[in-house]
Amino acid sequence: MSVTDEPPRRSWAEPFKIKMVEPIRTTTCRERQSALREAGYNTFLLRSEDVYIDLLTDSGTNAMSDYQWAGMMLGDEAYAGSRNFYHLEQAVQEYYGFPYVVPTHQGRGAEHLISKVLIRPGDVIPGNMYFTTTRLHQELAGGTFADVIIDEAHDAASEHPFKGNVDLEKLDALVRRVGADRIPYVSVAATVNMAGGQPIALENLRQVRAYCRKHGIRIILDATRAVENAWFIQQREPGWREQSIATILHEICACADGCTMSGKKDLMVNIGGFLAVNDAEVFEEARNLVVIFEGLHTYGGLAGRDMEAMARGIGEAVQEDHIRARIGQVEYVGEKLRRAGVPIVVPVGGHAIFIDARRFLPHLSQDQFPAQALAAALYLESGVRAMERGIVSAGRDPASGDHRYPKLELIRLTFPRRVYTQAHCDVAAEAICTLYEERERIHGLKMVYEPKYLRFFQARFEPLGDSVYEKA
Amino acid sequence: MNRTPGIELPPAKVVIEPFRIKTVEPIPLLSPGERATRIERAHYNLFRLDAEHVTFDLLTDSGTAAMSANQWAGMMAGDESYAGARSFRRFERVVQELTGKPHVIPTHQGRSAEALLMKALVRPGQIVPGNTHFDTTRANIESVGATALDQQQAEADPHFPGNLDLAALEQTLETEAARVPLVILTITNNSAGGLPVSAANIRQTKALLKAYGIPLFIDAARFAENAYFIKQREHGYRNRTVEQIAQEIFEQADGVLMSAKKDAFGNIGGFLALSDEALTESIRTQMVVTEGFPTYGGLAGRDLEALAIGLKEILDESYLAYRVRSVEYFGQGIEQAGYPVLKPFGGHAVYIDAGRALPHLDAGQFPGQALAVALYQSIGMRTVEIGSVMFGRQDTATGREIPARHELLRLAMPRRVYTQSHIDYMVEMMAHLRPHLASLPGYRLTYQAKVLRHFTAKFRPFTS
Repeated sequence: MSVTDEPPRRSWAEPFKIKMVEPIRTTTCRERQSALREAGYNTFLLRSEDVYIDLLTDSGTNAMSDYQWAGMMLGDEAYAGSRNFYHLEQAVQEYYGFPYVVPTHQGRGAEHLISKVLIRPGDVIPGNMYFTTTRLHQELAGGTFADVIIDEAHDAASEHPFKGNVDLEKLDALVRRVGADRIPYVSVAATVNMAGGQPIALENLRQVRAYCRKHGIRIILDATRAVENAWFIQQREPGWREQSIATILHEICACADGCTMSGKKDLMVNIGGFLAVNDAEVFEEARNLVVIFEGLHTYGGLAGRDMEAMARGIGEAVQEDHIRARIGQVEYVGEKLRRAGVPIVVPVGGHAIFIDARRFLPHLSQDQFPAQALAAALYLESGVRAMERGIVSAGRDPASGDHRYPKLELIRLTFPRRVYTQAHCDVAAEAICTLYEERERIHGLKMVYEPKYLRFFQARFEPLGDSVYEKA
Repeated sequence: MNRTPGIELPPAKVVIEPFRIKTVEPIPLLSPGERATRIERAHYNLFRLDAEHVTFDLLTDSGTAAMSANQWAGMMAGDESYAGARSFRRFERVVQELTGKPHVIPTHQGRSAEALLMKALVRPGQIVPGNTHFDTTRANIESVGATALDQQQAEADPHFPGNLDLAALEQTLETEAARVPLVILTITNNSAGGLPVSAANIRQTKALLKAYGIPLFIDAARFAENAYFIKQREHGYRNRTVEQIAQEIFEQADGVLMSAKKDAFGNIGGFLALSDEALTESIRTQMVVTEGFPTYGGLAGRDLEALAIGLKEILDESYLAYRVRSVEYFGQGIEQAGYPVLKPFGGHAVYIDAGRALPHLDAGQFPGQALAVALYQSIGMRTVEIGSVMFGRQDTATGREIPARHELLRLAMPRRVYTQSHIDYMVEMMAHLRPHLASLPGYRLTYQAKVLRHFTAKFRPFTS
């Protein structure tokens, strides 16, 4: 183990105590070997019971509070006009500030709706880096995504405090090239997941707002982790230190015409999302569409109880103690890895630590899927499940049919909210440090099955060499 | 030891629930004056009412069931892992055992299972026959550019009025087989009043399709109610369990789709169960776009857990006896109170013929809506119009209303939610209302959306 210095200062402690537990199982290396083989070396295809510490995603994997569970018992399962819907609507209006709310069963349900309502074939949608499902829905609606994030976002080693910022020159060049009438909206994510959970600055967002207003272009916010973004603004951006998270969240949303939301992140629920907008006509159209794909507009494909849990989650998400501990936990692990020399994306983002697989495995070329290989090796080493965010996730270019070769080749260690303790974090960090010392033994992979859409979910691989995978 | 002989008693009139109550939910009791205000503010559309102003919510049996203590316990054991959760494995196993199909795909609702299946199998210009397609099934078939063809048996079998018309199907296949990608049997036949389909009809449909190599799919939303009717009414099934009958039905099908908000006691959820591996692969690839990863399909792990338990509980025959009997009891009460009802009674709802109950109103005055409003105003009941509001259309040329075939009012029974006292109360009040029906006003539309107008429409009463 290479973490020999004094342990990093503990910047956080959980602002809660544990009310209910769920057993987890440790496995032997041999068991993990066979589980990995069965899963085609894709961590998405592992059974959860074969996983010891599950850092695959922070989406829907959170521990709800007793207050949220109490809300679960107050579900009003009426098909129309459930009181839980009105509670959710009111909480969204209060904290996000948009008057019109359409619940959906997931964030992708909201993306589906807004893409169908606003995008016409041939449109271009600029955004601060793509997200898998967001871009896919834009493409399915006939649009094309254009990346207008600042260059620093693609540089894993840049310490820029707001790597989620929009490059206004890139945006302006795009608007000049295709014309404002071909741009239905700018898609702004806060924080930017694919850049490593990196925040956008409020000042930058306001500049985008001013620019878009001048050109008559809407802004649709992906507010999935906007509370985490608000924390970074409070900590890093001049003038916001004394403002509450709730106030900053409001300011972020005030820059947008609407938002899509996956409640499975910031709002600490296991299922649910919503679309919220300012425009009554957009709302009207979305409300007519939601019944076809999701469910009637007062339940949107969610049980009443899940709307209640989400409404209650909003109030909890903006608590300063909660968000400090939440991001403090991620920073704690990041600091440990950094001290051990493990190449990670800096600064550490809000929901995850991204390990730079290019620098971790310099002996692998990108078409040997280094991040996929690293995620497989980490599982084998420790039972920790991470996710590939590199060439496999980037998919193929619809025009040329080639792999898209993203600049960032990462694995993501994502932290479910309120689930794992510091001891779990220590175990995961130690495993990564050990693996880093033995990194030359990790071989590349070849893809043997490739689905058409969102291939990273279900692709299957085989190892190109055998030393790591045969270790027992 | 002498055993005293048991005393034989006549069969009970009371419907006994095979459970006791573990958790209750208060129901609002509003004064008639308050209800009059509420319905006026809702523009006389019951979909626009807040649930907290409804005393008896008979809008739908979908997603409104009371879960059991066992299901709630399952909710606490949900595995929320994004991929490969044990709750999915449990759900998968239960669905496999029930349907006999190896591939199980969870979805957040029944309509998403339909959407995925139609996208994968149906091409523009094709025809999808069925006994009677449910409205979301029809919408999903039409949205891929195909035609949904209802072929319910005209000369209805009194025991199984939900049957498919085999002769009509055969005729279609003789000329159009190449354009038929699949046939769907909906059990029970919901749009036709929750009426059952016989095992023989299902077998014969399969045999007919086999000759043409066309797959049969079963929409199994109310499969257990249907299987129970088969046990009661069809020759040769008396001694089989409902589970065995269900398994026999599913054996005839190439695939099963289900809204689990009905006969799985779920508040949310659905699934597809398939035998074809290539079809499964193509749907799993497609589903991540709109639903979620294939091992959660847009559902929380706890919901998969609750559905796995619910799918077992629904097979309890004492429950099904109570279920079918209580719908019948309600129907008989309404009939005795002087309302024309559709018979035989189905498995999940009572249908009042509003056209006949309110003969002074023509279709353009929406008699079903008029009766629905009256039942809310005077009794606090929320029901749903199935007539010219839901299925009528405006002629694009003249703007005139084209009426629907029937003017019905559906009173759907949520599962395990309302007691016999609730039913008795509603029937008693409906009897009091009966003499006043002739004075009820008709309604006209003041706002309607382009599609599925009944959800958001606004009305105004005609003043006499």
